[in-house]
Amino acid sequence: MNAGVNKGITEDWLSLWIGLLVFVLALGVLAGADILGWVVTTGMWTDVTKALGTGSKAFSGLGGIGALIATYIALLVVMSIGAAALRVDVKRFALGFTAVFWLSYICWIIGSWASFAANTPADMKKFGITWSLRLTSEGGFIVALLAGLFVGNFMPRFAEWMKEAVRPELYVKTAIVILGGFLGVTAAEKLSLATSVMFLGLAAIVCAYLIFWSVVYYVARVWFGFSREWAVPLASGISICGVSAAIATGAAIRARPMVAIMVSSLVVVFAVVELLFLPFLAETYLWHEPLVSGAWMGLSVKTDGAAVASGAITEALVLGKSAAEGVNYAKGWVLGTSATVKVFIDVFIGVWAFVLAYIWTRHIEAKGTDKAKASEIWERFPKFIIGYVITFAVIFALALGAAPATLGKVKAAMGEANAFRGIFFVLTFFTIGVMSNFRKLWEEGIGKLAAVYVVCLFGFIIWVGLLISFLFFGGVKPPLVTG
Amino acid sequence: MNSSPEREVRSSPSVASEMGKMPVEPLLPIEKKLIGWSLGLGIVLLVVLVAVAKLVMRGS
Repeated sequence: MNAGVNKGITEDWLSLWIGLLVFVLALGVLAGADILGWVVTTGMWTDVTKALGTGSKAFSGLGGIGALIATYIALLVVMSIGAAALRVDVKRFALGFTAVFWLSYICWIIGSWASFAANTPADMKKFGITWSLRLTSEGGFIVALLAGLFVGNFMPRFAEWMKEAVRPELYVKTAIVILGGFLGVTAAEKLSLATSVMFLGLAAIVCAYLIFWSVVYYVARVWFGFSREWAVPLASGISICGVSAAIATGAAIRARPMVAIMVSSLVVVFAVVELLFLPFLAETYLWHEPLVSGAWMGLSVKTDGAAVASGAITEALVLGKSAAEGVNYAKGWVLGTSATVKVFIDVFIGVWAFVLAYIWTRHIEAKGTDKAKASEIWERFPKFIIGYVITFAVIFALALGAAPATLGKVKAAMGEANAFRGIFFVLTFFTIGVMSNFRKLWEEGIGKLAAVYVVCLFGFIIWVGLLISFLFFGGVKPPLVTG
Repeated sequence: MNSSPEREVRSSPSVASEMGKMPVEPLLPIEKKLIGWSLGLGIVLLVVLVAVAKLVMRGS
């Protein structure tokens, strides 16, 4: 890593600022200024010329293509300024972002074709089709992921060329900051349920943290004979939150950075494997328990990007299947549950890193001078969560008990912000795919690392995560759509 | 840290050589304590929090 050479801000802080910028501009609707109404939106289609639209009717004159170009230019400017703040090569970033944006968006449009996306009888009838892959309106995310995987694994030169803009963590954290506002409206409308989901999410992750980490650490140390330096990042990467946790806890015990990096390479690959099959498993077996599905994604799928992405896919699949069975749940609760669980997990990374640093410096590698500091909890704290809390709290306060007219404006504002959230999501899916180097699995010596990952993830974490999700969220249902 | 950790993956050194250099380290008593307390606390909290959650949900 180039720490010490480049002194720009972190992706973590950048995602917070970009997310808040979108949020604040969207709030212009409340003051009568429709600042972001030109943002492009994507809908299901059988005639591709009707696939795109604008976030606000006031800008419908732009047309879909005009809105797409306007959105690209706006994001290119903002993200390039962000790249400058990161102190990366802005020109290379801008070129890479251009490729990432257009490829991602083309995937989204393809995935929104009715024969891919339609998943309810009403949609089939509306578009005059008799068969569909039933990927839902989020089908474009899956197409983007597959396209990214293709680029990452079969077009390495192209992937290398655009790598400056291949930043799934930046995109998903920005999306999560924006998501806070959307969930704030949802929570204000169903306060009691929202409070329960937050409490249940917190309780679930406290248990999962302690149980997951200890078991994986034991398996890595005793069954597979890994040293402490390897076992800590491995246990954190598999059991907690993938890359961030592996890096943070690895640093906490003063492991060499390359250990956490090697673990991270597996985390990303396996997160994509989970992302490709867990949401469909949830659709098949858990469609009648939507919030269990959401919590399960948050607890089982590693890395922020893949976890929240799987929550989005799961929500679309589960709600689609429920709708086909005649039960129409409100949107936002499944994804909200995944995001809540993931946010709490991220919050605790710093705490767990501090606990490990304390034990290592006092009991395992005690040298008398190198003591763990409480300030490390703040240093390890994922800053984008501050943005999520701000957007959630502001919108929650505005929407709670608001008059119908004001609530309508708040919803419209968050609708426009949410269009950007969707765009950042599709960028996340595509770049996760590009980042996932499956050839790593065939690298000499990786077998032992992969084996402990497979044993723990597929033999323990996923199923215990499901059990914990059931214990806490079983029987808790999202509100039904009324009217 | 300007680039995300994931971005550094492609330039990592050989896993095989690092695996070969890994020292044999028996489990220390403090590690056994960490595993035991973490697992025990996790299971106890699971039981307690599930009970609390059911009570709260029933009350609401």
